[in-house]
Amino acid sequence: MTGSLLELPTGNVWVEHIGTGQPVVYLHGIVDIHGTEPGPLPFHTTLAQHFELIAPAHPGCAKTDEDEHLVTIDDVVFHYLRVFDALALDQFSLVGSSLGGWIAAEIAVRYPERIKKLTLISPTGLAVPGHQIADIFWYAQPDDGERYDQLRNLLFAEPGSEFGKKLIPDAKDTIEREMGKYRVFRFASLIGFKPPYLYNPRLRSRLDRYRKPALVLSGQPDSLVPRAHVDAYSAGFSDGRLEVLENCGHSLYAEAPEAAAEIVHRFIAS
Amino acid sequence: MHPVKLFCWHFMAYPYLPEDFDDKYDSGWVTVPNSLWDREKARGLYQEYIDQLVYADELGFDGMVLNEHHQNIYGLMPSPNMIAAALSQKTHNGKIVVLGNLLPMHLNPLRVAEEYAMLDCMSGGRLIAGFAVGGGPEAFNYDVPSPRARRQFWEAIDLVVRTWTEDGPFPHEGPEYPLRYVNAWPRPEQTPHPPIWVPGARSRETMENAAKRGYAYFLSSRSHGDQTRKAAQAFADTMKKYNRTYSPFDFGILLSVYVSETDDQAKIESQEGIWYFLRNCLKGHLRTKGRTLTWGPGIPSTSPDSWRSVLEKWEFGATQLGDTKDWAELDRRASIIVGSPETVRNKLLDLIERAQTGNLLIQFHFGNMRDDLTRKSMRLFAEHVAPTLREQSADVFARDFPEITDLRPTR
Repeated sequence: MTGSLLELPTGNVWVEHIGTGQPVVYLHGIVDIHGTEPGPLPFHTTLAQHFELIAPAHPGCAKTDEDEHLVTIDDVVFHYLRVFDALALDQFSLVGSSLGGWIAAEIAVRYPERIKKLTLISPTGLAVPGHQIADIFWYAQPDDGERYDQLRNLLFAEPGSEFGKKLIPDAKDTIEREMGKYRVFRFASLIGFKPPYLYNPRLRSRLDRYRKPALVLSGQPDSLVPRAHVDAYSAGFSDGRLEVLENCGHSLYAEAPEAAAEIVHRFIAS
Repeated sequence: MHPVKLFCWHFMAYPYLPEDFDDKYDSGWVTVPNSLWDREKARGLYQEYIDQLVYADELGFDGMVLNEHHQNIYGLMPSPNMIAAALSQKTHNGKIVVLGNLLPMHLNPLRVAEEYAMLDCMSGGRLIAGFAVGGGPEAFNYDVPSPRARRQFWEAIDLVVRTWTEDGPFPHEGPEYPLRYVNAWPRPEQTPHPPIWVPGARSRETMENAAKRGYAYFLSSRSHGDQTRKAAQAFADTMKKYNRTYSPFDFGILLSVYVSETDDQAKIESQEGIWYFLRNCLKGHLRTKGRTLTWGPGIPSTSPDSWRSVLEKWEFGATQLGDTKDWAELDRRASIIVGSPETVRNKLLDLIERAQTGNLLIQFHFGNMRDDLTRKSMRLFAEHVAPTLREQSADVFARDFPEITDLRPTR
């Protein structure tokens, strides 16, 4: 496992490379590498037993510079085109989790020829009338100034579990982890705070442009991204399939790392 | 040397919440259900509040202060400019301080430039133009992403000032607010433009940007300990960087006061209003219980570096002003000063001296405080506190700022 700074004209990008094999780009979510977690989770190291996992940190996250011109999801797509070009990634599989899943979908519908296999894990990104994505920014503010029950409720199947409290503890976390949380919310708020809220109203009608196999992986119950969203994703792709892990929540890659990694591995290797 | 300037700040709280509000609702902001608005009781409420500000003008305060908040019970002024318009016609002497319009929440800063110019003309050049970014609750009110709001803010201020000072029509090419024809009618009465005040919560970015442009800095903190003095010093140092000399009139603070004949009488009369204010109005803003929206990872407005320094100092779950349990604790927080004229006078003089500030922006009305009590406190302040404060503050400033021989107009 090594990380390095990629120097782009628009600023530096921190990229973690783990394992060897065919390249798989991983775009992170919230309780995730470069998000609240400073390093890779078991999900990433398990996948990296089969592939070269390339995980860039979003603008402003980990050691990636903020880009003050970044305002829309389109800006993020262009940012990643520069990253892929700089890494000489021509054809690769793409995996995205949570808001990383949204970004992955936006890239795939624009440049389907570059993506061999597309995997979206608990992706935000779609507008599904009557099924709003929950307000994660509201609940990122602690309950009674000291507890994160509501935030954990959005992110995990069992908000009160030891596991959930380890990843999103009540009381102040270490400075590094608090900074990780702050940075990932700051990035998310730039593209997803103003309605459209963590989605692009035009993405759903564009999904059929991606004709190669697409896997949508969801933990249920997911209190952040309603079930109707993953259904809409898998139905919207020309060759989409949905896999559901029961008794996991939004952060299933953290909650059930082996099972999630195995499903993603099988899909990409098939 | 000029004496301290004493302003009367009205927040215009909603005073008719049910007794069990604190038990039933987790915030007085954003999500506080507007079904609690009582049309019958609220009839005439704005008139009562406006009349209190008119009374402040009659009592000889240096000005009246208004600000902008949305969807909350703390302050019923989503548009402070409307109240300012009313004051422009009903008051005659004091400055009208709008502190401020929340620029990122206005679609087009040109509208703010136009309304402020109107207010300046309508008031005979009495406007002090405040501009603010908006805090956490406001981000949720209008869904303005916090990091972007900061960028929008300074571009918007610069555009407003160009609108007031440059001959139009001209194009504005800024990234956030590109406009082809900027050509506002009317132009403000004051030249080159009304004084500009910018509130801040000690962040270096805001101080730099205000000092660089020659604007006055208003510390938005409600409690005043050593940090207030440090903030004034930090702003003075920042001004020096830009070859400006700090005067006490470049810096303002907010505090709250209740005056009665004796200390005990003051407590008895103000108790209900003050604790209504602390418990209900500050819930969601400066209170631990419920969901405080003022700052945090959900509204990541400050730069990561600033946030790191907050984290290093911050005690998770530390109590805030709204958590205040008793008079002793209230006294320690130096935010709401209650007592006889003598008590209030001494505490304010001490504060002026320590903070080296020439602008005291004072809240007299709390939560559900009765009209007669509010007016009584204002009158006692004007008659028995203000004269001494003015006299002695002028001496303090003359002693502490000997290099400033004359009051420079704030820009």
